[in-house]
Parts: sequence; C-alpha cells; structure tokens
Amino acid sequence: MSDPPAQLIVVDDDPINRRLLASYLEREGHAVATANDGRAGWELVRSRPFDVVLLDVLMPEMDGYQVLERIRGDEDLRHLPVIMISSVEDMQSVVRCIELGADDYLPKPFNPVLLRARIAAGLSRKRLHDLEREYLEQVEHVVTAASAVEAGTFAPDALDGVAGRDDALGTLARVFSHMAAEVQARERALKRQVQELRIEIDRTRADRQVEEITGTDAFRDLQRRAAELRSR
Amino acid sequence: MSRVVAVHSFRGGTGKSNTTANVAVMAARRGLRVGVVDTDIQSPGIHVLFGIDQATIGRTLNDHLWGRCAITEAAVDVTAGLDPTLEGRVFLVPSSIDAGDIARVMHDGYDVALLHEGIRTLVDELRLDLLLLDTHPGLNEETLLSIAVSDTVVVVLRPDQQDYEGTSVTVSVARRLQVPHMLLVVNKTPAVFDHADVEERVRAAYDCEVAAVLPHSDDLMAYSSQGVFSLSRPDHPVAAMYDALAARIVG
Ligand SMILES: Nc1ncnc2c1ncn2[C@@H]1O[C@H](COP(=O)(O)OP(=O)(O)O)[C@@H](O)[C@H]1O
Ligand SMILES: [Mg+2]
Repeated sequence: MSDPPAQLIVVDDDPINRRLLASYLEREGHAVATANDGRAGWELVRSRPFDVVLLDVLMPEMDGYQVLERIRGDEDLRHLPVIMISSVEDMQSVVRCIELGADDYLPKPFNPVLLRARIAAGLSRKRLHDLEREYLEQVEHVVTAASAVEAGTFAPDALDGVAGRDDALGTLARVFSHMAAEVQARERALKRQVQELRIEIDRTRADRQVEEITGTDAFRDLQRRAAELRSR
Repeated sequence: MSRVVAVHSFRGGTGKSNTTANVAVMAARRGLRVGVVDTDIQSPGIHVLFGIDQATIGRTLNDHLWGRCAITEAAVDVTAGLDPTLEGRVFLVPSSIDAGDIARVMHDGYDVALLHEGIRTLVDELRLDLLLLDTHPGLNEETLLSIAVSDTVVVVLRPDQQDYEGTSVTVSVARRLQVPHMLLVVNKTPAVFDHADVEERVRAAYDCEVAAVLPHSDDLMAYSSQGVFSLSRPDHPVAAMYDALAARIVG
C-alpha cells in the first residue's frame, strides 16, 4: 500500500514560474493545486486541507507576507508548513519571512535538489503534527470516556477507535474499556440486588398461615397457659 | 429482673445458633451470668460452638423434660473452655444428640409447664442475668413453647424474599402469644446493601424494632464450626456488632 500523494499548493503570480514549479512537483509524485495571486491562494488554502504551501513573496492583491501572516494567525492552519519562494534576495525579506513564521526560504529560480529536500522536510513536519493532533484527539476520547463512566453514560464501544492502536494509548484504551465494562456489570448486579431488598409479603397467604397455626385448640391452650405462667 | 430470650428464625441456617452463642459470650464479657438452653431438640447444634462434643455431653434438656433430673444437673459451665478471663459466666443446657431421644421427644412432645419451670429454676439457682433459648426453625409446637415462655423473642432473618413471608408469620404468631418484647435481627446481609436502608425497610415492613443488621461475613462462616467467632476475633467489626446486639437485648 503506497501513501496517497501529498497535497501541495503553489501560489505565484508569474505564470511561467508557476507552471514550471507545478509540473516539477507533479513529476515528483505530488498532487499540485495553483493560485495566481495572494488572495486566490489564501481562499484555496482555507477551502481544503494541504500538506505544504509554496508561496511567492511579491504578488498583486495580497502579497506573500500577508498570506503567511493570515495562515499563522489561523487556529486551524497555524501549523501548515510554508516555504517562501522568491527572487527577492535581500536579507531584509528573508528575515521578515522567518519572523512571520515561514518554515523555509528558497531563491528563484529554484534548485531542484534543494526544493526536494525542503518539501520532504515540510511534509515530515506536517505528518508529525498530524500524528500529534490525532494522538491528542484520542487522548481526549479517553478523558471523555472517563467522565462518561463517572456520569454513568459510558457506551461500551466508545473507545473502539482508540483501542485499535498498537501503542501504549491503545493498551490504555483497551484496559480502560474492559474495566469500565466490569464496573458497569457490577453496578447492574448491585441494582438487581437492591431491588431484592423490596420486601414483598403476600399478606393473604401469610394471614392464612397465621390462622392455621393459631386457630387450633392446642394453640389457644398454649396461649392461655403462657398468659397464666407469665402472670405468676 | 433477668430476661428469657428466645432466638428464632423461620428458616434453618439463618444464623440463630451463631447469634445466640456470640450474644451469650459478649454478655458474659460484660460481666453477666448467661445461660443458654438448646431447645432445638430436633436438630441440636449450639453445643459445638461452645466446644462440647458427644463424649462430654452428660445430662440434657431431654432428661429434665422427662423428669429424670433437675435442669441444673444438665447445665454445664462452659466459661473456662471458652475464655477463662471472661468476667461473667456462660452455662449451657445441651439437648440430646441421641437419635432415639430425639425421636421420643418428637413423638411424645413435652409439657410447657416443665420447660417454664426449668427455665425459672435455672434463672434462680444459677442467678442468671440472661437466659437465651436457641430454637428449632419454623413454628412447630416445641418452638411455640419456647416462644411462649420468653420475655423477649429475637427473630433472625436474612434479607431475601424467601424469608420475608415466614418472618411475617412468626411475628404475628409471637404477638398472639403476647411475648412482651420482640426484636428483629437481619443476618447475612450482602455487602452491597446499605445497612441503614435495610434496617429502615425491615422495621417498616414488620412494624418491629430492628436490633441489628449483621453483614454476611466470610470470616465468620469460615470459623463458625470451630467456636464462638467473637472470642477468636474480638477486634473484628462483626464482634463489635454482636457486642452492641448483646447490649441491646440486655437493655
Ligand atoms: N453473618 C454471617 N455471615 C456468614 N455466615 C454466617 C453468618 N451467620 C451464620 N453464618 C453461617 O450460616 C450457617 C448456619 O448458621 P447457624 O448459626 O447454625 O444457623 P441456624 O442455627 O439458624 O441454623 C453456618 O455455617 C454459619 O457459619
Ligand atoms: Mg441452630
């Protein structure tokens, strides 16, 4: 099973540069989307998930700095790897991009070896981050399940997703589910027993038994003699 | 005034003998002179808890009821064998474990006046503060006699459906015999039950005072055929409950 292609986006107002980059990246096996100015790039990045953004610095409408700033300011996108690509080579620009949170900076025209290495680094950062986020989400599932146990609303299959992991968290989820099921079973048993404490007496039948015992001459005799003995 | 207390239950195996023996010992620990009469003539057993066996049983309650001996001749002082440091005393009047004797009592029955007189004699001559009668389960004639001669009847029940109705019959019958005091003891209460809740429900169901709610105790069950639990495990929570029950029965 091979991994699905990485989703890249190239944002550049220069059509030649854009096409060059895109076709190179496609040959490398990636899926590539393009945008021809900063605003279109920003819209696209917001509209669906990407793994790495390649961003030109100087563009009409919205320049690379602005797009980068928006990405870093967005709750969902702040961890998205961004590689700035520009012919602007002055130190000032590089420093500004780094300060705004760019992961890398590549000069135009791009050097294929360098580009490949940076994309690979970006992708592995992204994958790590995705793993971490998924991990935290699943930890959150376990925490939620713990509250559910406390509230008595735990569903036995609530942790099935997490329990499938082959790491420590998976073990935790399996052991937890198992223990929660046992607690639930014990509580059910307890409820059953508490119901047994309801004292139900068939009064008619009990009265009949009392009559059978006390209605005889022997009993009346005993009653009389007991009263007599007591009064002495 | 001394008290004659019949310990009864509608069903067998409810814990009458263990309750009787433990209450007797706890009362003796409090310095009381305590008598125990095994009126479970059909299936005697409490002597085992007091460390008496077939070989050491001499005269019995049966002998007294047949006019063969005074009841005091059948009374054994078991204090030293239990615990020589007990402040009070424990006397046991055992019942015969001879099959022929048992059959004879079953067949002929005995006189309530003789039992009553025997009990009074025991109380007087042994200067007893408390006399406990361990009884046969159910409501046959012998058991009714024991209840009839008592000042107090303690009805032991287990908190399960099978016991509720029989206990209700027992309570009604004892009331018609005008036993002056009646106490309920709930025994073998499963740990999952809330004891205060059990006490309240039982009290309400029978309109009768609940003197103790004793737990089901594996420790007690494991030990009970060897002797009196409260003596071997004086620091056990169940021993404290028997002590409280003894205090409540003595009043
Ligand atoms: N509170 C208790 N917890 C556990 N087992 C008990 C308890 N009370 C009595 N038993 C056990 O129940 C059985 C019957 O007790 P026993 O006192 O002989 O009952 P009875 O005299 O009513 O037939 C014995 O094996 C005894 O160990
Ligand atoms: Mg018994």
